[in-house]
Amino acid sequence: MSALALIGPLTADATTPTNYENLSFFGRDPWWLILIKVVAVFAFLVVTVLMAILFERKIVGYMQQRIGPNRTGPWGLLQSLADGVKLMLKEDIIPTAADKLVFIIAPLIATIPAFLAIAVVPFGPANNQVSIFHHRTPLQLTDLPVAILYVLAATSIGIYGIVLAGWASGSTYPLLGALRSTAQMISYEIAMSLSFVAVFIYAGTMSTSGIVNSQHSWWNCLPLLPSFLIYVVSMVGETNRAPFDLPEAEGELVGGFHTEYSSIKFALFFLAEYINMVTVSSLAVLMFLGGWHAPFGLVSVWHGANSGWWPVLWYVIKLVLFMLFFFWLRATLPRLRYDQFMKLGWKVLIPASLVWLLAVAVVRTLKNEGDLNRSHLIYILGPVVAVLVVLWIVSELRYRQTSAVEKAEEAATAAKPFDPMDGGFPVPPLPGQTLPAFTPRRPRAALVGALVESAEASELEAGDPDV
Amino acid sequence: MNSYAPILVLGGLAAGFAIFSVVSGMLTGPKRYNRAKLEAYECGIEPTPQPVGGGRFPVKYYLTAMLFIIFDIEIVFLYPWAVRFDSLGWFGLVEMVFFILTVFVAYGYVWRRGGLEWD
Amino acid sequence: MSVLTSLLAASPGDPTNPGGGLGGATSTVTNTFTAPHVEYRALMPMLVVFGAATVGILIEAFLPRTRRYWPQVGVSLAGVVVAFCFVVANHGMAETTAADAVSVDGVTLFLQGTILLLALLALLLVAERGTGLVDLDAFTAQGATTPGSGGERAADAAGLRTTEVFPLMLFSVGGMLLFPAANDLLTSFVALEVLSLPLYLLCGLARRRRLLSQEAAMKYFLLGAFSSAFFLYGVALLYGYAGSVRLSDIATAITSSPHSDVLVLAGVALLAVGLLFKVGAVPFHAWTPDVYQGAPTPITAFMAAATKVAAFGALLRITYVALPGLRWDWRPVLWGVAILTMLVGAILAITQRDIKRMLAYSAILNAGYILLGVISTTSKGVSSTLFYLAAYGFATIGAFAVVTLVRESVRGGSDSGDGGEEDSVTVGGEATDLSAWAGLGRRSPLLAACFTVFMLAFAGIPLTSGFTGKFALFTAAIDGGAWPLVIVGVIASAAAAFFYVRVIVLMYFSEPLREQGAGPIVVVPSPMTTVALTVTVALTIALGVLPQMALDLADKAAYFVQ
Repeated sequence: MSALALIGPLTADATTPTNYENLSFFGRDPWWLILIKVVAVFAFLVVTVLMAILFERKIVGYMQQRIGPNRTGPWGLLQSLADGVKLMLKEDIIPTAADKLVFIIAPLIATIPAFLAIAVVPFGPANNQVSIFHHRTPLQLTDLPVAILYVLAATSIGIYGIVLAGWASGSTYPLLGALRSTAQMISYEIAMSLSFVAVFIYAGTMSTSGIVNSQHSWWNCLPLLPSFLIYVVSMVGETNRAPFDLPEAEGELVGGFHTEYSSIKFALFFLAEYINMVTVSSLAVLMFLGGWHAPFGLVSVWHGANSGWWPVLWYVIKLVLFMLFFFWLRATLPRLRYDQFMKLGWKVLIPASLVWLLAVAVVRTLKNEGDLNRSHLIYILGPVVAVLVVLWIVSELRYRQTSAVEKAEEAATAAKPFDPMDGGFPVPPLPGQTLPAFTPRRPRAALVGALVESAEASELEAGDPDV
Repeated sequence: MNSYAPILVLGGLAAGFAIFSVVSGMLTGPKRYNRAKLEAYECGIEPTPQPVGGGRFPVKYYLTAMLFIIFDIEIVFLYPWAVRFDSLGWFGLVEMVFFILTVFVAYGYVWRRGGLEWD
Repeated sequence: MSVLTSLLAASPGDPTNPGGGLGGATSTVTNTFTAPHVEYRALMPMLVVFGAATVGILIEAFLPRTRRYWPQVGVSLAGVVVAFCFVVANHGMAETTAADAVSVDGVTLFLQGTILLLALLALLLVAERGTGLVDLDAFTAQGATTPGSGGERAADAAGLRTTEVFPLMLFSVGGMLLFPAANDLLTSFVALEVLSLPLYLLCGLARRRRLLSQEAAMKYFLLGAFSSAFFLYGVALLYGYAGSVRLSDIATAITSSPHSDVLVLAGVALLAVGLLFKVGAVPFHAWTPDVYQGAPTPITAFMAAATKVAAFGALLRITYVALPGLRWDWRPVLWGVAILTMLVGAILAITQRDIKRMLAYSAILNAGYILLGVISTTSKGVSSTLFYLAAYGFATIGAFAVVTLVRESVRGGSDSGDGGEEDSVTVGGEATDLSAWAGLGRRSPLLAACFTVFMLAFAGIPLTSGFTGKFALFTAAIDGGAWPLVIVGVIASAAAAFFYVRVIVLMYFSEPLREQGAGPIVVVPSPMTTVALTVTVALTIALGVLPQMALDLADKAAYFVQ
């Protein structure tokens, strides 16, 4: 799969690699335009979050054969806003055991940096600008040579908010939740950051506008499919969303790090989580799905698809699709166990992304140095495929071995007679064991009359054995 | 204007919004004292006593944190290399392959020694 | 490694990154970044050692516990020997490489060769596991267990071995090879950390008296981290002054810069704190006795010899390449440090009752002597420093090797858990108290003779390496106009001769404690320690009797490239 994906750009992009990093379009806006754009992206974030919360409840509802909220406003559209107002008017509880200052500051630390990442997200091309009050400007707040690094930095600060919230609450569950949350976010941040490296190699820049520009012929998700998949998995882990929402595993940790939070402070954590969802979805769109570029083939039919205000539409559509993907996951998948989750991050995603990165780097260098044509691919891919095949055979053999062992164990347990009161407690049968034949106690009615007895006994055997 | 100015403005707006929310939330909400309400929440049972000013973190998490730092430093080296990948040619590739392999060695060691196990 | 150094070296003043790349609006970054040229042959000694260390980690990770020892020993020894061959093959080289981060010249090569030889000898001591009759493993069975706990006993009973010491030591050696070769301050810092961090760990892994060992590691780590911070702050100030971390650029900036000297003087002072700490000069010596005493003795030997070589190498390069223009500022300070170091070392050594602590103060004293060579700021000063470092290093390793062999006897107890008989005598930890050494010359004349040679060398008696080295150092210092220092040096030598000779007297002319049933045992080591001891004795005498070849080598090696 990965091998096939690599051949694509080799043939499609035969010219020398272009340098896309051109930031001369940014930093030229007058102050009033900056203000307008800042307020616009801020409003975009807040409205997206309000809508996202509503849509999540609606969609999860529909998937579970329910209707979801439908009372506040038409089709329940004002539900999230009403919730926000209600939260604002609730009592603001600060527990006695809490470290007051840190307890109050923590939600601020979680929320404020969450807003910052949107600043470098391109809603449209940098060189094909729109006119706002007769002033030509790109549809992007600003761009930096280190834009992606900036996004990672800004989102990482949010982790401090979470760990401080858990620590300052002076309570057991928040502390555990905060630690889990932090461990989880930093574990998945590695895989996430590693999946970007291949994109930088292809784009030759870390600026967001440059990365989107470089995808004019191929969206990165095709040639860099493994990177994309790793990113999608790690982004779900990074935002603490289902099925990786272990920090908020209510069965184990009540509410996780925000157990002790109430009123608007709780709302701020909620807001931060959803903004982070928007941020990682935006990153996915701009790194792997062509950003504001119109869907495949549309430009050849309609030349204006990538100019004017239209790119905003394509971008928002892709963003919304990604958010829907988040909701779909939540409605579908059960939560992972914590050790499985960490194992996936450390033992699968990180080595996989490093190996894939090495493959990308080798092929790219061969192509750049002009040493590569189709026939050489055999020599490169041959050993890779051979190694993969060997690994597959080894793992298959191992699996058979372990499954044989498991079967033997199962047989051993099956051979042991099942004791329904093992250790003095009623226990269910293990796989391979069967409940002993059930002999109902003779009902008292039997003492009364034989006629009644036969009727009741047959009823019991057919029905509930717990009597 | 500098391309960082819009970020500052956005940060200011976000900070203003968040601080306004917290302050007004404190002012608008009701205040009804109840000792049990201000105790730490532990599903209704007597709360576990906590040391003043927060508890100590289990040492296991330091291991995760240190491993994270190792890989984060690796990523810090990978990013500039990736951006200038095309102009570094074979030299860059070979050096970075050695670097990644070295980190892999440490990774393998940690793995085999159970540093990545969670129970 | 080289990527790291080149990236570090390329960052300041990098033409592809105008204004730190933060300009944004006007930065039209072009793809003119050119890969730095790396002369791999010049870097081979370091690459080989680091490679061997990496292989060592793989061995740790993938071989079963019981089969790790011999592969580790083989890989480590092979790595060091091959690296030494590369150093020899590089002789006469004079160039900077890896974006000018590393300079390979006579001084570098001489010191690298010295470090590798010392490391080879120290590795033999580290690899010592006894002869099957006695277990001479100096390292704890499992570092993570609490001293005195059930876990420790279980690890001992299971016969676990901490074979991680080999890769750790190789990493440290690698850092030491880079430290004197570093041509810019950031590379210096990286090398300093690479050589220090494994040492901190190694110090805490002693098999006996583990609490003392862990305390030593903790002290060394805290103070070392503190001194590294000083060093780094000095680097920052010098970068602020010169606009570059490269030594030659700093030298140019000092002679031509119109700025005030405050920044550069403060920077140099902070830098000196970091370096003098590693060297163990007064007033930054306080860690030395505790750490030397607590660390496993093979590690103490390695640390005392090789770290000193590396740190003095870096001190030489920084003072001679970067700071010749400030000579009149740093020399008086180093004068003071040298006088203090010699006096404090000599006086406090006299009062010691523990052989390892005495050797630690002797190390401080010797650091004072070596500072004389640095201060003289002549080519003769450089060559005499080089020679003395080698001579002192071999004698130190030998002396500590002797210390590992004099053991306490444990009556009736079974330390190794094999349950000996009631009356049997088993081998305990090292008998480091001076009183235990009384009469050693009667029971083990050979071992006592070896130790006598090292003591005489430290005291600077003719026909030993110490005399030749001291003579060369003092002559160079007089040539450099530092005759008051030489006078202090001679006085300190006389004082030092007292406590060195006292040990000899104790060994030959005192009644042994053996009769009272508490005397030490002299154990018979495996060939490893025997070889190390033989080589160090031979070298110590050879450098005293026929020093000319080594002196010529040091003379020829006394050149720097910018």
